[in-house]
Amino acid sequence: MIAAGVLRCFRPSNAFQVPHRRFPMPTRIARRLARRDAPAYTLRMKSLFAATHSGRAPLAVVRFLGLVLLGAVIGAVAALVAVGFVAAVLWLNDLLLISPRSRMMFDHPGLLLVITVAVPTLGGLAVGVVHLTIPERRPHTPADAIAAVQTRRGRLPARAGGLSALSALISLGSGASVGQYGPLVHLGATLGSLSARLLRLGRSEDNVTIACGVAAAIATAFNAPLAGIVFAHEVMLRHYALRAFAPVAAAALVGHVIAANVLQRGALFHVADTAVPRPWEFIAFLAIGGLGALVAGAYMGTLLGVTRLARRLPLAAPLRPALAGALLGLTALWVPDILGMGQETLRFATIAGAFGSGELLLVLVLKIAATGLCLGMGFGGGVFSPALVIGTLFGALCGTLVGQLSGAPQETFVFYAVCGMVAVTAPVIGAPLTSLLIVFELTGSYALTTAALASVTLASPIAAQLFGRSLFDIQLVERGLDLSAGRGRAVLRGTPVTEQLSHEGVTLRPQTPVAEAVTALCRARHGEGYLVDEAGRYRGCVSLADLEAAREATQGDTGKVQRVDRIAPLARRVLGPDASLWDAMAALEDVTGEALPVVDAEGAFLGVVFESSITRAYLAHGDELRREEHGTG
Amino acid sequence: MARDERELARGRWPACLLGLALALLSVGGAADEDALVVLSWGGAYERAQRAALFAPYTAATGRPVTVRQYDGGLAALRGAVADGEVPWDLIDMTRSEAMAACAEGLLEPLSPKLLALAPDGTPAEADFLPGAIGRCAITHSIFATVVAYRTDAFPGRRPTRIGDLFDQRRFPGPRALQDTPAVNLEWALLSYRVPREELYRLLSTRRGLDLAWERLDTLDEIRWWQAGDTPSRLLAEGEVVMASGYNGRFFDAMVHRGVPIEILWDGQVQEHETWAIPRGAPHPEAAREFLRFATTAERLADLARHIPYGPARRSAAVRVTTHPESGVDMRLHIPTHPLNAERAVTKDETWYARTRSRIQALFRDWLEAREAQ
Repeated sequence: MIAAGVLRCFRPSNAFQVPHRRFPMPTRIARRLARRDAPAYTLRMKSLFAATHSGRAPLAVVRFLGLVLLGAVIGAVAALVAVGFVAAVLWLNDLLLISPRSRMMFDHPGLLLVITVAVPTLGGLAVGVVHLTIPERRPHTPADAIAAVQTRRGRLPARAGGLSALSALISLGSGASVGQYGPLVHLGATLGSLSARLLRLGRSEDNVTIACGVAAAIATAFNAPLAGIVFAHEVMLRHYALRAFAPVAAAALVGHVIAANVLQRGALFHVADTAVPRPWEFIAFLAIGGLGALVAGAYMGTLLGVTRLARRLPLAAPLRPALAGALLGLTALWVPDILGMGQETLRFATIAGAFGSGELLLVLVLKIAATGLCLGMGFGGGVFSPALVIGTLFGALCGTLVGQLSGAPQETFVFYAVCGMVAVTAPVIGAPLTSLLIVFELTGSYALTTAALASVTLASPIAAQLFGRSLFDIQLVERGLDLSAGRGRAVLRGTPVTEQLSHEGVTLRPQTPVAEAVTALCRARHGEGYLVDEAGRYRGCVSLADLEAAREATQGDTGKVQRVDRIAPLARRVLGPDASLWDAMAALEDVTGEALPVVDAEGAFLGVVFESSITRAYLAHGDELRREEHGTG
Repeated sequence: MARDERELARGRWPACLLGLALALLSVGGAADEDALVVLSWGGAYERAQRAALFAPYTAATGRPVTVRQYDGGLAALRGAVADGEVPWDLIDMTRSEAMAACAEGLLEPLSPKLLALAPDGTPAEADFLPGAIGRCAITHSIFATVVAYRTDAFPGRRPTRIGDLFDQRRFPGPRALQDTPAVNLEWALLSYRVPREELYRLLSTRRGLDLAWERLDTLDEIRWWQAGDTPSRLLAEGEVVMASGYNGRFFDAMVHRGVPIEILWDGQVQEHETWAIPRGAPHPEAAREFLRFATTAERLADLARHIPYGPARRSAAVRVTTHPESGVDMRLHIPTHPLNAERAVTKDETWYARTRSRIQALFRDWLEAREAQ
């Protein structure tokens, strides 16, 4: 009897007929999907989308070629901007007496001491003021670009990107111990995202253009196009897709051509052409890899520790970088090697005998401290250049110790320096392949690359186990974005469930008589109603079946009108307005029903999200990712 | 070459500069009113300029050229500009002095448009070597300080890298080096195989200088020279097996006197020689006309046939042929030839201008410490 009543309501359509549903989706399948048990259904979805794509091949080719061309254009712009940025940093360093050459040429020793302290301090102050104009009150870094790509949000803000670049320029120009490649990467990413927005392209293309800007920046800054391409895939996209490869490669190539013709700089390292490491030295390179992971951990730990400490400092945020600058300047009076990006220090560290082993240790520790201080206290800038210096110093220390222990001539000293460099940088940026390729492209030495491979083999996995995939990932986790389970989860977590919010659900006042409620539900062809009081607050959820049962029970008793709030409500989880698609899927795990109500913190009812909408959004996201990663056009 | 003579004169008779300037002024009054007055370095250099530049210019324009000699320095020019009586139309200057004079406002600004196109129509800016076109001075030639070695000193091997200058195990024997920090510091640091682009940045640090002194210390016998002709003489007499010196001098000893030496071009340190027009020159228009004439590819190539200086234009460098008298192929002897210039260092004149006295003092300290040992 009860069943007949319920079925009467459903019979006309024999399926769910909620207006925004395009095709029927039995709850059973949705539930199976929620348990990640979906292969059969996935195949159906794929064939569905494949059908819509076939027959548009020529147009797809044109679109794809357009994207490649756009990649080249972004590459050119990003490369020119990168060249300009690097030149501006060098110019500022000369002007502000940070570069050794300008310091040497300045013939007033007393004044130089004052300037050494004053420039980083005032630079810090300026950086602090710039950060006040950024909504997050901090400079944007490659971590923000990674987050934008991994959550498929894209759309990097241009203004904040420009201000972050300005902050990095001031920081680098005034001698803070920070890197220049991070800002260049973020600037490239911002330019890529901006061009996607200007051309009104989709999120998928936005991610590709971000990768293009990043690849061009690395290709230009290091004059290493392959490293640029691999970096964009390894750190930004984190998947390999043919459709992304071509535009990214075009961007890197253009960046490389521009760098080769505009920037004329010496190679970052140099190798004596005769030296080849002896077989036993590869054991040392492996050991450097293992220990390098710990050095990378110490570096990242210092940076994150100072960042946490700085928040508790009883000092206004804009003044923190100034304090860091003053401390840096004072230390630099004693050990000038820690000022700035440290390119001279990097070079000396590759020369046997330029530092004593005690000196190497001192500069190593001070450089880690200085970089942690500068970045933790709020200077803008990257983590890569300091990591290069720290790693090379560490490698040089290992080389010196091995030389002292074995008594062998130091012909292969540079191998140790480069192995140390790779062992520290690869874990910090989470890019073992990029680090290797940088070595290969800058030195053209196969022997050196294989030695570096030995180090990176241990360094990256050990650091990933102990600390995290990269410093960027650790920072993102602290900001609430966990990429450890990949893009799929990040995308779902980044998608608000309110996108699927519907007002089609039947709302009932608590005092509504049961009979009226049954009629309302049947008219709307829904199986559930949501009780909402006069103040708009959510009071629970009732099913048509229960209402029907209650009506049946009181049918003979005409004098008594039963209210719906007397009926036992269904056990139904509610979602907050900020719940993500991931949360909704998790909630579905133990729900059998039609929809989940969305209720805000004050208890106000905002609407419902139908179970089928959640499932379809889940499938649609999965399909988009699949198309992005496996599609060709 | 001209520069050597200047340094020689400076070392021996530093006081005669003023007298020379006065003498030049008095001679100036007697010269032809229309003549173009050129201030240059005298000697073999002037002879080459007469043959390749001044005589053809007079033949082409009918305007005679009067040549005065000087040994560098800005004192005379400074005085003449202050008095408002500048006797010269053109001055042959080193780039570092031209830069200083330009900053003091002693020279006429020059437009790059003044310069002739290359024979194939390439604009001057693209044809001249980088840094050759200054605000007030145009580089016409590039000379180099190089290492030369006796060909009979190391049987079966020859030095190929500047680092070999310091390799006494493979190349034993005494060395002759110039009694200045310049060039020696560059070579000492280059021997660690640092890229030449970073040389002066690294020399600007205490660590870089220490490395350089350390390297120089590894040489057990150094003969220090001052006069430009000493290194080729020491090599000719077999007193040393390797010596630094000016490439023109070594060319002269090699080709004209048959001394058995060869030049190691690796790590050569190049300097620019320029034309400049002083402010208040009597014939500024004619001076510009001469400057344009003297920096054409044809004239620069002809000058390099007489003296092995690198023409400042690429189009001129490919036109250099043989020495007019000896028939020697001059291309292989000029510092800017691609084979020679592969790892050339351009002397950072601004760096030296600002650090000279301190670097000099450090050099003296090092020398004293070395001799005390």
